[in-house]
Amino acid sequence: MHIPDGFLSWTWPIYYVIMFVALYFSLRWARKNLDEKLIPLIAVLSAGIFAIMSMNMPIPFGTSGHMLGGALVAIVFLAPEAAVLVLFIVLLVQALFFGDGGITALGANVVNMGLIGGAVAYFSFRGLEKFTGKYPAAAIAAWLSLFIAAEVVAVEMWLAGTFPLDVGLASMGIYHAFIGVIEAILTVVVLIALDKLRPDLLAWNRKTSGGQKLEGSEEVAAK
Amino acid sequence: MNGIGSVRELEKETEKESILHLMDGRVKLILLIFIIVYAVFSTQIVVLAFLELYLLLLIYISQVSFKTSFKRILLLLPFGGFIIAFQPFIHPGDVIWTGIFGLQVTQQGLMWAVLLMSRLIVALTSIVLLSSISPMQEVAQSFRKLGMPRELAMIFSLMIRFLFMFYDELHRIMHAQKARCFDAFNKKIPYKWRMKQLGYTVAMMFLRAYEQGETIYMSMASRGFSDESNLYHDRKKKLGRTEYIYIGVTLLIVIGLQILAMTHFYELGVLGMNII
Repeated sequence: MHIPDGFLSWTWPIYYVIMFVALYFSLRWARKNLDEKLIPLIAVLSAGIFAIMSMNMPIPFGTSGHMLGGALVAIVFLAPEAAVLVLFIVLLVQALFFGDGGITALGANVVNMGLIGGAVAYFSFRGLEKFTGKYPAAAIAAWLSLFIAAEVVAVEMWLAGTFPLDVGLASMGIYHAFIGVIEAILTVVVLIALDKLRPDLLAWNRKTSGGQKLEGSEEVAAK
Repeated sequence: MNGIGSVRELEKETEKESILHLMDGRVKLILLIFIIVYAVFSTQIVVLAFLELYLLLLIYISQVSFKTSFKRILLLLPFGGFIIAFQPFIHPGDVIWTGIFGLQVTQQGLMWAVLLMSRLIVALTSIVLLSSISPMQEVAQSFRKLGMPRELAMIFSLMIRFLFMFYDELHRIMHAQKARCFDAFNKKIPYKWRMKQLGYTVAMMFLRAYEQGETIYMSMASRGFSDESNLYHDRKKKLGRTEYIYIGVTLLIVIGLQILAMTHFYELGVLGMNII
């Protein structure tokens, strides 16, 4: 899903503008909710997510893929802003040192995986958790975040004149529908493990979500 | 994505002491990003060919191994190569070949594919060169000096420091799994069970990352760190003669290529054709 350099023609500056706006609001959220903890926490989490993304996982029907982690970060913090921040740093390092995703395409990649991936995961999780329960909601949210982000890539390629819309939507959709299964399963397994081992880290266990600072409440710590 | 092994090799490459290695980090960063941006907007194959030649000359000057550089570029090509491979078949235009199942290759599609591939090769060569002549920390500091917001620059710098630690952590976990004969791709083991084990691995990585983040915050806070702290001591370094020569030559090449692109390259036929 990492768009390389040269594939977005003249459209890439538009995504840079969207990325900068998203980064501005994400930093504002981080200063408000994480204050001085922001820097070490986001930095180390980004390094962890970077390592997680390097793990190749088996996908049913023989192929393989890796986790993106945007949905996981958005659900753990209950904030899509966290996904934007973490994915921006991860994708910047990947583009600059690994050639994975382009420099000019960085804006589009952050918009797709961080902003759209994080926002879809957060809002679908919030919308579904009352009806399905937390874990099924997290699974659907993670799958949707990857699937929709992949379809947006197809639309961006079409807008740039690189790939026809119908073929792009079909091929990206089918491939990422399978990759999304991994994202869904792993997001749920990680959430279950975190809920057992460190429930205070999950924003849904705190009294008020999203707008609460990252110290766990006493009741949760005692759990 | 490349593994940590190649990152370690990269870090070794950055320790060399060529003229390019010793240059100011900002100059290296800006000029190579400038070449990528120019390549992305270029519509003539010949322009991209000259840019690639210039980059290969820079690789030679920087004493970076050609073999390693080509290997890295080849490893990175499949990401975009997959999309490029479809281009000759999906672009409308003059049909030059018809194959089985009515597959048709058009001349415009073929030219577009060659243009995309040329852009991709120039961009990847730039990245391979940049990452071979600039240590990661130098790039992080260059971003800060170029005006990246303080928080983002610090996150970027700290992230790089912990990157190696987490790769080691992941490798330790994977070695332990391998020592116990766990293979995530072994189809004889139920898929659900394999995913559960991988899930726990990811959970452990995430948890360790988070807890490490908290520990680091505590140790930084105990040494006086606050949200007003600045981790950088910007050493003001003036640009020297080599930096100005590098900037001048690169600008001259790009401006020269652009003038030739507008006035003479169309005479070269397919190579100088504007592909839009």
